[in-house]
Amino acid sequence: MLSNFTAIEGRSFGYWRLVIFFGVLVLIGAGSFVAVEVHGHGITGMNNQIVWGVPHVFAISLLVMASGALNLGSMSTVFAVKQFKQFGRFSAFLAIALLIGGLAVLMLDLGRPDRLLLTMMHMNFRSMFTLNVFLYSGFIILCFLYLWSMFEYHQFTKVIGSAAFMWRVILTTGTGSIFGVLHAREVFHSAITAPTFVALSLSSGTAISILLLVTTFKQTKRDLEDKVVFGLRNALIFFILLVAYLLVVEKFTKYYSPAFYDVQGWILTGPYSSLYIFGVWGAAIIIPLAILFHPSKGNSVSGVMWASLFSIIGTFSIVAHLLLAGQAYPLNMFPGYEVSSAFMDGVTATYSPAAVEYMLGFGGIGIAGIIYLLGIKFFRMLPDKAVAPEGYELPWNP
Amino acid sequence: MTMDRRTVLGFGGAAVAGVALAPGMTLIAAPSPDKTEASGDQRWAMLIDVNKCETNCTACTKACRQENNVPLFGDANRDIHWIRKLEIRDKEHKRPSVSLPVLCNHCENPPCAHVCPTEATFIRKDGIVLVDKHRCIGCRYCILACPYKARSLVYKKTSFPEGGNPNVPIRAKGVVEKCNFCVHLVDEGKEPACVQACNGEEGNKAMVFGDLNDPKSEISTIIREVKTQTIRADLGLKPHVHYKGL
Ligand code: SF4
Ligand code: SF4
Repeated sequence: MLSNFTAIEGRSFGYWRLVIFFGVLVLIGAGSFVAVEVHGHGITGMNNQIVWGVPHVFAISLLVMASGALNLGSMSTVFAVKQFKQFGRFSAFLAIALLIGGLAVLMLDLGRPDRLLLTMMHMNFRSMFTLNVFLYSGFIILCFLYLWSMFEYHQFTKVIGSAAFMWRVILTTGTGSIFGVLHAREVFHSAITAPTFVALSLSSGTAISILLLVTTFKQTKRDLEDKVVFGLRNALIFFILLVAYLLVVEKFTKYYSPAFYDVQGWILTGPYSSLYIFGVWGAAIIIPLAILFHPSKGNSVSGVMWASLFSIIGTFSIVAHLLLAGQAYPLNMFPGYEVSSAFMDGVTATYSPAAVEYMLGFGGIGIAGIIYLLGIKFFRMLPDKAVAPEGYELPWNP
Repeated sequence: MTMDRRTVLGFGGAAVAGVALAPGMTLIAAPSPDKTEASGDQRWAMLIDVNKCETNCTACTKACRQENNVPLFGDANRDIHWIRKLEIRDKEHKRPSVSLPVLCNHCENPPCAHVCPTEATFIRKDGIVLVDKHRCIGCRYCILACPYKARSLVYKKTSFPEGGNPNVPIRAKGVVEKCNFCVHLVDEGKEPACVQACNGEEGNKAMVFGDLNDPKSEISTIIREVKTQTIRADLGLKPHVHYKGL
């Protein structure tokens, strides 16, 4: 039932307009990189309290989504969900595109990006960063092998696909652990931070896949059966519920211990409370679930698209909240005491991101976008039409 | 135009080779930690007597800026602090506030060094935690990891200050730096600048610096005989700045 894979024509005005759009984003990102390189991080909004700002929010979100983009491939290869098999190539390729976009932002935001090679020459294997260098490189290799097997050597698809699936779980655990392992940071030090990142990658990766598939199929006038999209919708619902579950467990555990009352109260009332309430809970969980469970909106492709969009905004919000609130909350050097100094001890840090930071982040999105657009033009990534297997009925509809 | 399979494989193969080679590439051998000049016979540490330290005294912080060419940018959020004065007070305000300097604790289990991807931050045999500013890539992970806010990123280009110390380089833009126990002085058998200042005319003689491995040193004797504390000992980092009277 699998139809042929073909490259898109990519000659239309609409296609080139998109290429130019993402190209401009790349240029904007490049410009901001040069500006920060010349003038130093002094021209960003970052300071010695918030040292990872908006670029890291973009980078980490893209990395989380990259791992999640492999969902469709994994669901078909590892879990034998037949209707997603036709998206295997798309899914592995999208994962590579997003990963490169995210990594680019991460590297270009270094204080000394010119010394990047040093990370390859002097490695500290105790550092989550070094481990992530291996995890990211390995992930790209596995995605390429996976793609290769899907193009040429189908007999290896199952093995490589399963390896890629395991790798991505470890990879996202690694990304989450960058934060989770830091003992002194009360907002994000938790064993559950890494699993939350894994769940987040599942939801955001599915969401970005839905958005791109529906748009690409529509723009290239290919057939995408609604039933296939609704299958993805059901997966998205499950993944969002998983994120919500982990967020609740974390809160529950922390609220049980009086030692965390201060920080938990601060999350709900401090300067990042709106981001927490509207971004983390609103955009990432409540709004998409409300849409997806709605009897008419949940059963329309546009409704599913809106829910996906919110899920992605929510992913950025969760990462932003974890990162920014996590750094803004004062370090508790003297538990039970009030602290003050000329170095902002004991006070919530302030941070107003500068335009260059957003520009660098957009540059990462530009890179991922360009890779995706060129990929579907030059390689046979997408099926001519995507339909559910014969006789397939969705187990559940809102 | 559609690329054929071979082209796909070619691209993929090149990229795979690229990423596969990169992590394993070794172009320059890293100096191993045991090649530093320092000897493991010493274990440098500091003791601060909080009862002697006075709120308005900034002799130590001034001396540090002078000795190490640490500039003030006039932007409280971005200023670099290798040592700073803290005021602490119980939340109920029942007791008077206490003033104390806080600096890098030269932890025995330093999370800053554990997270540093390039080993730019490393611990010398004598326990001094250093940053190799030529190896630091400015990732700032160490700033997130240090529980004592002992590290600062240098946000701007700095220049040699008027009347600065020619024996110490200026702070380098884009890298993270912190107190190094005035390693250049310690290696000459002298005490860190802050300790010298605290024990000089302007100070209150609240700081003692010495070798914990020498049982006869002043610091070893005090730590043995009097109750001292370290900040957040519960984190298990084994800080080497001890406080008396906290
Ligand atoms: S105080 Fe901070 S910077 Fe100093 S050694 Fe400990 S963790 Fe590292
Ligand atoms: S900023 Fe420099 S010293 Fe700190 S972790 Fe990164 S490379 Fe190491």
